[in-house]
Amino acid sequence: MTLNEQLKQLLIEELNLEEITANDITDDMPLFGEGLGLDSLDAVELVVILEKHFGVQVKSLEEGRIAFQSINALTAYVEEKRTK
Amino acid sequence: MPAWTSRSIGTRAQHRIFYFLIRYGGRRCAYLLLSLVALYYVLCRPSIRAKATPYLSRRFRKRSFLRRLTDSYRMFVALGQVLIDRAIIGILREKCIEFSFPEREALLHLVEEGRGIILMTAHVGCWQAAMAALRMMDVPVHLVLRREEGDVDLHYYEHEGTKAPFAIIDPTGPMGGVIEIMQVLKRGEIVCVMGDRRFGSRKGAVAVPFLGDQALFPFSAFKIASATGAPVVVLLSHKSRPARNDLRIYDVIRVKPDAGMSGKELFPSVSRFVSALESYTQDHPYQFFNFFDMWENASQLPDGKKGNAR
Repeated sequence: MTLNEQLKQLLIEELNLEEITANDITDDMPLFGEGLGLDSLDAVELVVILEKHFGVQVKSLEEGRIAFQSINALTAYVEEKRTK
Repeated sequence: MPAWTSRSIGTRAQHRIFYFLIRYGGRRCAYLLLSLVALYYVLCRPSIRAKATPYLSRRFRKRSFLRRLTDSYRMFVALGQVLIDRAIIGILREKCIEFSFPEREALLHLVEEGRGIILMTAHVGCWQAAMAALRMMDVPVHLVLRREEGDVDLHYYEHEGTKAPFAIIDPTGPMGGVIEIMQVLKRGEIVCVMGDRRFGSRKGAVAVPFLGDQALFPFSAFKIASATGAPVVVLLSHKSRPARNDLRIYDVIRVKPDAGMSGKELFPSVSRFVSALESYTQDHPYQFFNFFDMWENASQLPDGKKGNAR
């Protein structure tokens, strides 16, 4: 399973996204607002997912803004942080 | 009922009259004018009086029309005094109003745990002036605060012309300030949130019995507590004498990391906060100033006790 697919699966499971499959989430779909429709409450869980499953800490709002744009952005962020 | 807004009901000029009286006549002079203004609002502004009805009709179930007017009057006077006190702290400086916080050491011990603290308060007593008392803490304090455009009511530090003694986190900002809050807690600092009002959609709210009916309370702070391990300290203040405010820790709620993050899973924690709030309204019935109708449509959730599915 690629990191993209793993992240999609985690989002669906941890955020209880009902009636959404990994295929419904495109790689460049905005995660917040229009798109997947996540909100600030989900941001808490996103931060926890990154820490728990990848050991990656979101250290600032600016980082979060960039990382939480889409699955592609999230994947790039995790890959970058993991290698550091 | 008109839609709720956090904006002040008075005009800028009306506020300035009070500030003038405080500066040149002192607290008593401002309180005197307040008693007349409160009477005007109770008798001549039914739409304003109606804002107090959701709470008063539940706190005092059997009241005649006249008693209800009296209750509204007492509540408006109490609110006005709190706002005047806040201005006094800024205009005449803090020493004019005494703050008692005997549990300060207990709070500092919690700070020493290093997980940060979510200080949960509510729109009760002198909640804004109580922020001045947090200056006595040795760690940075951050306040989650939404400021509406056109709000002419000044915070005490704005009267002083000084910088806010706490950093402000805007809950309407990107991702609701969540990332900032989590970072603050990781640094072992204090975040102060209001536990009795939700912003935006009902998604982040759970229905909890409050004063006999289901009411909606936000659970996002408990979700953050679950994620970070920070204790939630319920700190409520009340005006005990004309120039004295007391702060009291009502509860310290520790949310287990594995408790889950849905409204249903966080319901027990939210309920503890609501119990503290209910206890407060028994002790200080006229110092509850949340004019947002938290009971509206709360019973329409599939099961009030279950709260939100996510």
